Amino acid sequence: MSQRLNAFQVAPGAIDAVLKTQIYVNECGLEHSLLELVKMRASQINGCAYCLHMHAADARKAGESEARLYLLDAWHESGLYSPRERAALAWTEALTRVSSEGGPSDATFAELRAHFSEKEAVDLTVAIGAINTWNRINVGFRTRHPADKPAKAAA
Amino acid sequence: MSKRLNPYTTAPDAMKPMMALEESIANSGLEHSLIELVKMRASQINGCAYCLHMHSADARKAGESEARLYLLNAWHESELYTPRERAALAWTEALTLVSQTHAPDTDYEEALRHFSPEELVKLTLLIGAINVWNRIAIGFRSHHPNDRAPKAAAA
Repeated sequence: MSQRLNAFQVAPGAIDAVLKTQIYVNECGLEHSLLELVKMRASQINGCAYCLHMHAADARKAGESEARLYLLDAWHESGLYSPRERAALAWTEALTRVSSEGGPSDATFAELRAHFSEKEAVDLTVAIGAINTWNRINVGFRTRHPADKPAKAAA
Repeated sequence: MSKRLNPYTTAPDAMKPMMALEESIANSGLEHSLIELVKMRASQINGCAYCLHMHSADARKAGESEARLYLLNAWHESELYTPRERAALAWTEALTLVSQTHAPDTDYEEALRHFSPEELVKLTLLIGAINVWNRIAIGFRSHHPNDRAPKAAAA
């Protein structure tokens, strides 16, 4: 699968606007570890290899454990995530799958508000929107992640 | 979330044939690395924390890379997986989501390009087995080891 186009070169102004949103999100005050989990989970759902590669590396570099990344698909069934992280992950899934699931339920929102201020809830929602945008840019244009060389199976 | 029951102590005779099936899969001749990727992918789809914990640890111990596990949700968009692995992963998804996919001819034909008919039967039993394990572990809420109170990574 080859890259379809380089969005960064073709439309730098558009990408710059998304980057500005991302910079806001990164500096909004939400914990870095939480933001990386949210980015990873949305990228898992959307199947974005480029974003999974980037954010797995960023999360690991910042001290995240391998286990919390390997189990992320099943966060709901694991005790490795804090109640605040679980509320954010539920909000992430509901908004990422908004078209198929009809939007977050009142219970999901109530749980979000139990762990996040209103301002944090908006910041988190913008963060979820931003990663969904990146996922669509990179999946749509087939951006290659680094080291995306022909596969070599493990032992 | 508390554990519901322990299937091994509750119905040991029912669990023995599952253990035997698992042993026959391990000795089937299918590559260990492929078996672990298939188990991980089905467990991601089914959201089985117990199985993701076990098989990420087993895969890493056998030499699997972190990246190939982190990107597994998006294998379709990455070249980190061989054509044989891709065919197996597509078959895994087709059968794990069988009520939606109905196992399309294209996935079957691609699988037969990379697996002998005998291997394809073994692969199919592998996919069936991990789906059973996922349902046992999720249904009875088996807790994975180290399923302790969460601690977020460094901010």
